[in-house]
Order: sequence, then C-alpha cells, then structure tokens
Amino acid sequence: MNVDDPAMLDVIRRCMVARIATLSRNGRPSINPLYFVYVPGHIWLGTVEWTLAARNVKADPRVSVLFEVERDRSPRRILRISGRAIVRTDPKGQRSYNLRVARKYVLTPGGIRHYLAHLRQLRLRRHYAAQNVSMGQPCVIEVTPLHAEFLGDEQLG
Amino acid sequence: MKRVTRNIDPDCARDLLERVPRACIAFACDHGPQAQPIVLVWHDGRYLVGISQHADRKPGPSQEVVLLIDEGVHYFDLRALYIRGQVKQASAPPEAPAADCTWLEVVPLKTVAWDYGTLREVRDER
Repeated sequence: MNVDDPAMLDVIRRCMVARIATLSRNGRPSINPLYFVYVPGHIWLGTVEWTLAARNVKADPRVSVLFEVERDRSPRRILRISGRAIVRTDPKGQRSYNLRVARKYVLTPGGIRHYLAHLRQLRLRRHYAAQNVSMGQPCVIEVTPLHAEFLGDEQLG
Repeated sequence: MKRVTRNIDPDCARDLLERVPRACIAFACDHGPQAQPIVLVWHDGRYLVGISQHADRKPGPSQEVVLLIDEGVHYFDLRALYIRGQVKQASAPPEAPAADCTWLEVVPLKTVAWDYGTLREVRDER
C-alpha cells in the first residue's frame, strides 16, 4: 500500500508520537517514542546523535514505525510503516525540522496552554536540551517508507 | 557537578501497567526490526503480552524483545516504561480480553522509566 494514500496520510497527520523500532549492529531490538513530522515522501523523527535510535539507524538502516492516533477507536487508527532510514545532521534539515515541530507541537492552542502551565519547568527543559546537545548533535532520522499497512482490530489482539 | 534527568524509579510508573495507554513490542525478524502493537496484562508482577493470531510475525521462544508502554503528547506529559527482556510462552491470563491472541511472557532483563514532568537536577555520579 502506498504511503501517499489519503487514509494513511490522515493517520500520520493526526498522530503525535511515533514509535520507531530499530536494530543494533548485533541485531538487538529497540523501540523509542519520538516526535515526528511528515514531509512529502519521508517521515522525519527528531532525536540526538548519541541516542540508541540514531546509533542503531547508522548501524542498520531498516526501521519499522508505528503511528497510532490518540483517543481514536476507529479500526484504521494504527499504521505501520517499514522502510529505510538515514541520520541527518545538516543544519538546513535541522532548521526545517525545528520549524515544523514548533508548528505541530508548540504553536497550537493545546501546546501553548501546556507550556504556559509549565513555565517554571522551562529552565530545566532548556538545561536538559543543552546537556543532550553537549553529548552529540541534534539530528533527524529520515525514514523513506517502503511498505505501509493498517493494523486493524484483528491485528491488535 | 549536577545534571538534569528525566529518569524515574520504574515503580513510580506502575500506573502505566494498570492503565496501559499505549503498548507495543519490538523484535528482530528476517526482514529487520518489527514494531508490533500488543495487549498487555500485568498479572502477579508478570508482563503478559497478547499478540494477535493474525499478526504476520511474532517473536520466537527466548527471543529478545523490548516492551514499551508510553503515554502523553505534550512535552511534560511524556512518560514511558521501557523493558528489555526475553519472551517465553504463557497461557492467557484470567483478565485477558476476549480477542484471539497468542500469549507470551516478557521476562525482564532491564527496566527503565522516564517522566518528563519530573525533570530535575541530580548529582552527577557517572
């Protein structure tokens, strides 16, 4: 099934947290929830170079990504994409990702309410982000989908 | 020297096991990694994972998996339990939903938990 299918794009656009499964150089699995944005032909997931997700993608580009629409009970609410990924650290890609993420997660009524309610914690958030960047560059895991499928209720157990 | 951490004691995220907002596993198969949504029942301290009979791939006996239970959308609401372990066959728990599942138990080797709402400074003892 083509990932540009309107029903699939609808799930990707409504989903807020993707879960990306990766394998280490030794074939050990991992799965991480990450913020993401859709750009035509690709999924961009944001992380930092030292994380297991980024290190695994560098070792083995194969990935499997779940998109689940929160608070949706419809049978077409979970999408699984398998594909290949690269780790991008170029400043242009990072800037583009940051702008898209701000639009999706921060500059919305819910996002603004959330940050206003946590103003006191923003200093710690900035320190945490700076600490992570001191350990490795921010990066984007760019996934190129090769296969996509809806997981209906019969697939969910 | 201090650092900021999101990590919490996994016992503080026990409510995720009772409510199970989102749960999935990852494992290796012939074509690469596989992410699979699951039904999770936490029964007598055991992690019982129901995988649909219709799932095209399932982990084999003793295979290493990662079980992830997570919740939240906005930054300070993000919480998760991340359990690396091995699977073994299990029977359906008494509180299992009626769905047609294969049941496996994840025997944990390592468990970590995080909660961005508890970001705090701690002494860096690394």
